[in-house]
Amino acid sequence: MATVEVNKHLTKDTALSVFRTMQIIRQCEEQLAKSHQRGLVHGACHTYVGEEAIASSIFAHLRPEDVVFSTHRGHGHALAKGLHPRELIAELYGRKTGCSQGRGGSMHLFKPEIGMMGTSGIVGPCILHACGGGYTFKIQKKDNVAVACFGDGAVNNGAFHEGMNMAAIWNLPVILVCENNQFATEVAFSYSSGIPDVGRRAENYGIPGFEVDGNDVHEIFRVGGEAVERARGGGGPTLIECKTYRTRAHAEGMGDFTYRTREDVEEWKTQCPLKRFRAAAISDDLVTAAELDEIAAEVKALIAESHEFAEASEYPDGATAAKHVYFEGPHDPPPPAPPQGERQTTFVAGTLEALDHEMGNNPDIFVMGEGIGARGGNFTTTLGLYEKYGAERLCDTPICERGFVGLGCGAAMSGTRPLIDFMFIDFINDSFGEMINQIAKMQYMSSGRLKMPILLRGCIGIGHSAATHHSGSYHSVYAHIPGLRVVTPATPYDAKGLFTHALRCQDPVLFLEHRELMSIKGPVPAEPYEIPFGQAAIAREGNDVTVVALSLMLHHALDAAEKLANRGISVEVIDPRTVSPLDTDTILQSVGKTGRLLVVDEAFTPCSVASEIAARVADAGFDDLDAPIKTLNGVFTPTPYAPTLEKEIVPNPETVQQAIEDLLAE
Amino acid sequence: MAYDIVVPRLGWSMDEGTFAEWLKQDGDQVNAGDMLFILEGEKAAQEIESFDSGILRIPPQGPQPGDTVAVGQLLGYLVEEGEEPPFENISVGKATTKSSSDQESKPPQKDSNVSAGPAIRRLARDLNVDLTALQGTGPAGRITQEDVRAASKAPANLPATATPMGGKRSTSSPRARRIARELGLDPTTVTGTGRGGRVRERDIRAAAAQAGKTTAPATSSLASLSGKTIPITPIRRTIAERMLAGIHQAAPVTLTTKVNATNLVNLRVQFKAADLGSQTPSFTDLIVKLSAVALTEHPLLSAQWTENGIVVPERINVAFAVDTAAGLLAPVIEDVGAKTIRQIATDAQALIEAANASTLTAEQMRNGCFTVSNLGGFGVDAFTPIINLPQAAILGVGRIAKEPVVVDNQIVIQEVMALSLTFDHRIVDGAPAARFLDQLRSCIEQPSPWLMG
Ligand SMILES: Cc1ncc(C[n+]2csc(CCOP(=O)(O)OP(=O)(O)O)c2C)c(N)n1
Ligand SMILES: [Mg+2]
Repeated sequence: MATVEVNKHLTKDTALSVFRTMQIIRQCEEQLAKSHQRGLVHGACHTYVGEEAIASSIFAHLRPEDVVFSTHRGHGHALAKGLHPRELIAELYGRKTGCSQGRGGSMHLFKPEIGMMGTSGIVGPCILHACGGGYTFKIQKKDNVAVACFGDGAVNNGAFHEGMNMAAIWNLPVILVCENNQFATEVAFSYSSGIPDVGRRAENYGIPGFEVDGNDVHEIFRVGGEAVERARGGGGPTLIECKTYRTRAHAEGMGDFTYRTREDVEEWKTQCPLKRFRAAAISDDLVTAAELDEIAAEVKALIAESHEFAEASEYPDGATAAKHVYFEGPHDPPPPAPPQGERQTTFVAGTLEALDHEMGNNPDIFVMGEGIGARGGNFTTTLGLYEKYGAERLCDTPICERGFVGLGCGAAMSGTRPLIDFMFIDFINDSFGEMINQIAKMQYMSSGRLKMPILLRGCIGIGHSAATHHSGSYHSVYAHIPGLRVVTPATPYDAKGLFTHALRCQDPVLFLEHRELMSIKGPVPAEPYEIPFGQAAIAREGNDVTVVALSLMLHHALDAAEKLANRGISVEVIDPRTVSPLDTDTILQSVGKTGRLLVVDEAFTPCSVASEIAARVADAGFDDLDAPIKTLNGVFTPTPYAPTLEKEIVPNPETVQQAIEDLLAE
Repeated sequence: MAYDIVVPRLGWSMDEGTFAEWLKQDGDQVNAGDMLFILEGEKAAQEIESFDSGILRIPPQGPQPGDTVAVGQLLGYLVEEGEEPPFENISVGKATTKSSSDQESKPPQKDSNVSAGPAIRRLARDLNVDLTALQGTGPAGRITQEDVRAASKAPANLPATATPMGGKRSTSSPRARRIARELGLDPTTVTGTGRGGRVRERDIRAAAAQAGKTTAPATSSLASLSGKTIPITPIRRTIAERMLAGIHQAAPVTLTTKVNATNLVNLRVQFKAADLGSQTPSFTDLIVKLSAVALTEHPLLSAQWTENGIVVPERINVAFAVDTAAGLLAPVIEDVGAKTIRQIATDAQALIEAANASTLTAEQMRNGCFTVSNLGGFGVDAFTPIINLPQAAILGVGRIAKEPVVVDNQIVIQEVMALSLTFDHRIVDGAPAARFLDQLRSCIEQPSPWLMG
């Protein structure tokens, strides 16, 4: 990659431009504080007053294609990245014209069109997202950079550690900006960190780190410029700690003097970055007082006009509240014809064919996981792909599940299609927050302007004494979350078709493979095909009773049905294939015919997919029911190790058969 | 311009706080950034900053220290030199916040079928409450637990409430109730074979089949006979279900009488002679019209049994049986009372044609309140027609034949016809039914005056 020269010293033009950005931030924040007091701001409002120099100076080096991921104190970041104050103020007023169209508010500001990839109500993940942005640029061979801005509160969070390490080992074009304002809400950094400085932590990860005066525009501009130059030139990540202070309360409306003194605050006000810049720039003859005054006046009018615009804007229509949870595009293609021909593959081989085919067609797909590179995956999920597509697209990871799932989130947001291969779902639970707070919500918070094409795959299920940390079935937990697709294939044919669809759709997908199914064989066509989500399969037709069974349980249900058929009992077996979205219609149609429903799932009963299906059928199919709805689930316990214990807690063909007979006797 | 001073929200979910004190006096100059008053929120007392500059004006009627104040409440003004503050806008004491959300309006009650969930039905059984007598107050008129409990406390029910608990109770599945409705069966009369005696779909179907056996005892043994099996067409099945229902759900009684139809026959001869073509009324048309006349006088014979009460229709729609290749059909002539005999004849003709062409719509067979079934053309003297539920009665018309009749103490030859009226004794008793039949008889014997309309 060619070296990119960045001007590290302020010219008159850049000086005026940085000053203008700082003015916009300051005046906008003051307007928002005032509006908060007047009730125009509906929710929380964390201002950036006192810290304006940081974003204004560093972002002066950025291009629109560079991406910024920010935190709860993000108004200044959004404005410095180029967001018009109108859109910021309107968002805080909850209006349709706001940058997130009223779905976000202060802590969820999105303007992906200019590289403002979002502020976040969760402390920490922006660091991982920036790594993801950096990974996208690496895959796409672009010399863009990804920036994360976060507070001192974030650096004691695992995301900081995992992000720093991933940025280092993959040499990502990332700039991590810690705005150390000395407090995380009311907790002093001197209390929560073993050492008083952040910048020097970088050394332990093997990347450059800096500790700068966060109220000194010149200094930040210089260090920031070097970091951008390094990142664009292929020199990798930089950590910059900007020591600063917020001179307003943590959030508007909060008390301020239980943890710090008025004197401290007054003292820091004298260090106001705008005042210091003005004094220095005038005395250095860089700009004149009149030029700065003119800018301040111009910005005043801009903010007044923006406030009026926002206040006059409409609120979003309540009827649209559930829009943009998922990608809204053309409808899914119709389901393909059932398998034909003699060709058989295993379950895993089916998904591997799909992955190979899609990776061949789409250079934006990359895989991350432990042992998925040269080794070809713990379950041979990527066998042979490393040789074909190389180390960047088949990326072995350190053991940092939260880290690489968060990275995947940022990568998907910025234009690639990550596949996270997590082996066991028990491991990916470490990244629960990344999945449900970030991945699942990005499309919604950005009012549909971001897409989230990320696929997370791995195994679930009890068997072969794997014991409780290698046998979870958490699909019900994830099916509870709006914004996720949860797929539970049961046959090699479905696995390949659903996997292909997962690699083409724009929503985040959790693809859960039962470990006891991964080596089963079945008919699988060689050519690519898609099975859309939300379309159940009628695995066996029957008239007397409907059994809904998913994943491994489908096979148990089919066994039981076969046995019962010999006795003249006709069982209809339905495989939902995806638990989110859930195809209730097909189940209802079947119950309309049979009048009886048994749901079989290995996962626990409480708050489960099984109880959800039961509830929906009890509601919409009430008059069709000839007997109570029954569920047969795994026992509500962690998974035991000893075979004699293990077999007691999962349904098997005999217990499924018994449950069907019991239901017929109802 | 005056700036409003309002109560800000402190923290995440504050709705009101306590006004502690002003930090400036009425008339003081306030600058942006000055602390203006103290407000106690959920956590602590806090100094509130002024974002504007001006002269503070505190209204005399405004909140006093210690008063509860609502977020957004107006406390005072910052005005310019010489400007008058609009004190009249400030309310005394605690301001009212946003009005509480509108009461959810209840949907109108539905007065047709009983709508109640399984738990409610069980409670009703335990408390011996008749659900059909209740008006539901739940959504969409559903009967709620409260409705049932209230009804069980109502005096009328008192003697019966002392049902022993734990007694064997019969329940029926929602599906069984639905099928029972479709087949016109009362599920509470069926013995259940499910767990705890629950009535299931199969029980209802078995009961329906059993009912079929009583009228045709050979059915089950026939199945083992060698021979050709005629598939049961949907229309056959519907007829079967309706006929069964007419016997098992109603309390049918049949009255027969003989009618002197000489005048009717004469009238028909005249109509035919007039060469009216398709508008020539048939005997059935004439009897349909005359039945409507009698029904107007005896409306209970056109009424319907519903769970909410006996419904007497406003208009007399009369169904008449048509024998088609596919089976028996009963199209409906609407509002017979208001129609001329010519219209009735025209309507009937069209309906018969549609019936034979299998183009009758469901609409054309709906809402009849009385049926006329004429088997006279087949040489039948008299028969026991089956009620077409939910109607209350059906008239069977026999053949017209010359018989010796005593008129004015003379034996004369007259045209005689037998009428068979089957009526639902649940709705109407024998005597009123007999009075109806008697009136119909006299209308037939002297038809002309009744055919004027
Ligand atoms: C994971 C998480 N934990 C707790 C919080 C609540 N919280 C919001 S802001 C904040 C303090 C953050 O401090 P810092 O990172 O230093 O940022 P600052 O507010 O000082 O800018 C806390 C604890 C949160 N948003 N996310
Ligand atoms: Mg902080």
